[in-house]
Amino acid sequence: MRVLLQSTASGILIGGVYALVGIGLTIIYGVMRVINFAHGELLMIGMYLTWIIFTSFGVDPFLSIAITIPAMFLFGAFLQRVLINRVLNALPQNQILLTIGLGLVLSNVVMLIYTSDYKIITTRYSSSTINLAGLPISTPLAISLLITTVITAILYFFLLKTDTGQAIRATAQDRDAAQLMGINVKRMSVLAFGIGTALAGTAGALVSPTYYIFPQVGGAFTLKAFVIVVLGGMGSVIGATLGGIIIGVTESLAAVYVSSGMKEVFVYVLFLLVLLFKPAGLLGRSRM
Amino acid sequence: MRGARQVKTFGRIHLTASGFAALPLLIVAAVVAALFVFPWLVASPYLLHLMILLFLSVAMGESWNVIGGYCGQYSVGHAAYFGVGAYAALMLLQYKHIAPWWGVWVAIAAALIISLLIGTICFRLRGPYFVLASIAVAEIIRLVVLNWKQLTNGAEGILLVDIPPLMLGGRLVTDWLSKTPFYYLGLILALATLLVNYLVQHSKLGYYLQAIREDQDAAHSLGINLSFYKNVALAISALLTALSGVFYGLYIGFIDPASVLGVDLSVQMVLICIIGGIGTNFGPVVGALVLVPLSEALRANLLSKFLFSIGVVQETSRVGGFLKENLAHAHVLIYGILVVVVILFMPDGVLGFGKKLIARRARPLSATPTPLVGGLDGST
Repeated sequence: MRVLLQSTASGILIGGVYALVGIGLTIIYGVMRVINFAHGELLMIGMYLTWIIFTSFGVDPFLSIAITIPAMFLFGAFLQRVLINRVLNALPQNQILLTIGLGLVLSNVVMLIYTSDYKIITTRYSSSTINLAGLPISTPLAISLLITTVITAILYFFLLKTDTGQAIRATAQDRDAAQLMGINVKRMSVLAFGIGTALAGTAGALVSPTYYIFPQVGGAFTLKAFVIVVLGGMGSVIGATLGGIIIGVTESLAAVYVSSGMKEVFVYVLFLLVLLFKPAGLLGRSRM
Repeated sequence: MRGARQVKTFGRIHLTASGFAALPLLIVAAVVAALFVFPWLVASPYLLHLMILLFLSVAMGESWNVIGGYCGQYSVGHAAYFGVGAYAALMLLQYKHIAPWWGVWVAIAAALIISLLIGTICFRLRGPYFVLASIAVAEIIRLVVLNWKQLTNGAEGILLVDIPPLMLGGRLVTDWLSKTPFYYLGLILALATLLVNYLVQHSKLGYYLQAIREDQDAAHSLGINLSFYKNVALAISALLTALSGVFYGLYIGFIDPASVLGVDLSVQMVLICIIGGIGTNFGPVVGALVLVPLSEALRANLLSKFLFSIGVVQETSRVGGFLKENLAHAHVLIYGILVVVVILFMPDGVLGFGKKLIARRARPLSATPTPLVGGLDGST
């Protein structure tokens, strides 16, 4: 029972970060209908950014998100303007291939600069735990869940209450109608890709104290992000939050009760089952 | 006038039944003949190695082209068939001492079974969902192979010790010690995949597949059984991919989950087709001709040597040393850059781009449209 509780708790902790990755992907898909296969690589860039800030200025990884978020937002906006914008009306396959190519470029450029050696960020709390109702919980993961919650709350507020947020949601619901209503859909696309990239980068910063940092780390996150988004329903932010938690818990339980090498198999099987029996996802009908 | 004369001359030597013009046929025959005598003229093992890699890339691209190019189903999980083929043949050879020319049948059977399994699951999905499902299935297979250590030796992979000599009627055909037998095997494999592509494209099956690619719903309403024909295309594609996998395993002599089952291998198969020109007979050939020499040049550090020789960077400087050290590892970078450039600037691939250039140049010369659009006559 104790093991079950503990693995569920750690699943929820990591699930929070997954949710952040998934929300970024789902916003991009919702607004532009482009599936971003370079999403994990954007997360990897966030990890390296955090590592660079940590090693050269000694800034704590959790504090450095103040730099990571705007930097990644600008990077994402740049990518959208230069690359993604050109294929908005192309075949979906070509969009997918473009982002796959982008991912290859990002991971290989990073490999060229920093080699494929594993990097780690060691803080004084890296391996410490806090006690929550008798369950030991990893401190960095607990902090990252806290930050994730705050960011998600701000994002919800932004999307639901502000004019720009509503314009983004309107674009996601119906691009043409939104344009007829006088919304600058091109700007919304840039904004959405920037926000998505910033979220991926933030997730990278948040996991950097607990993960190995290497150029190929993104691939696994890309696939997981899709699983999360499809599970929750493409384009649904609440769905992505829920999907992230479900995937985190599934992984954590599979690692404890089966084997840690096979935990991803369970995630992918779950993904296939959802695709086959509920292709719209758990919350597929509501858009954002 | 020029157009009319063309019709006349070509009309005489035109093989009307197959829609195959004689001139391209002659060129293909000449190239194939040249390729068959190539090992007699060239002794360099490195050049032979390059050619073998080229054949392998052609075979992989053409295999993927059947399902991705003609049928329009962008599978990004083809490493599954490649890896299963390679593992089946090498495990039989290594643990049970079954010669690869028997093992290859097991590899084909395994790939066909898996393709049916994947097909029944994934073909219920469309577009991006299909892409994702195909990746997920391939990843499941990779993880199972990685973790089933008793059967597959896990991450350590399988190292091939030796291949038994091939005897035919009491005579030794080859002992597999040089690169030449692999060269011919690779050449035959590449030609076979090309032939299959040609046959598929010019058969009823091919028209069904292209109809599915262009508009699934329209094809369905015309009475084409979508899941049946998609599965047939996938089975053909999986069979050929498994053959490529067996060939890779035998030639390289070492396989592990990362090298024969990874997502990047699946992506590579797609890229070969995209860069060359998707859904065309010779697109994957062009793609392989672009990709293999480029990535080999990077791997062999030709690029950094070139930069040193033209004096952009000094070999002894810090940047020079860095480039020399690392550029060889980043040959995948060229794939990424190429695919981005191709998608943005030549969405029909290098082949389509070249055709368009030629057409633009040819148009002012012959005002009448040339009736020689190969393969289209007789189809209506």
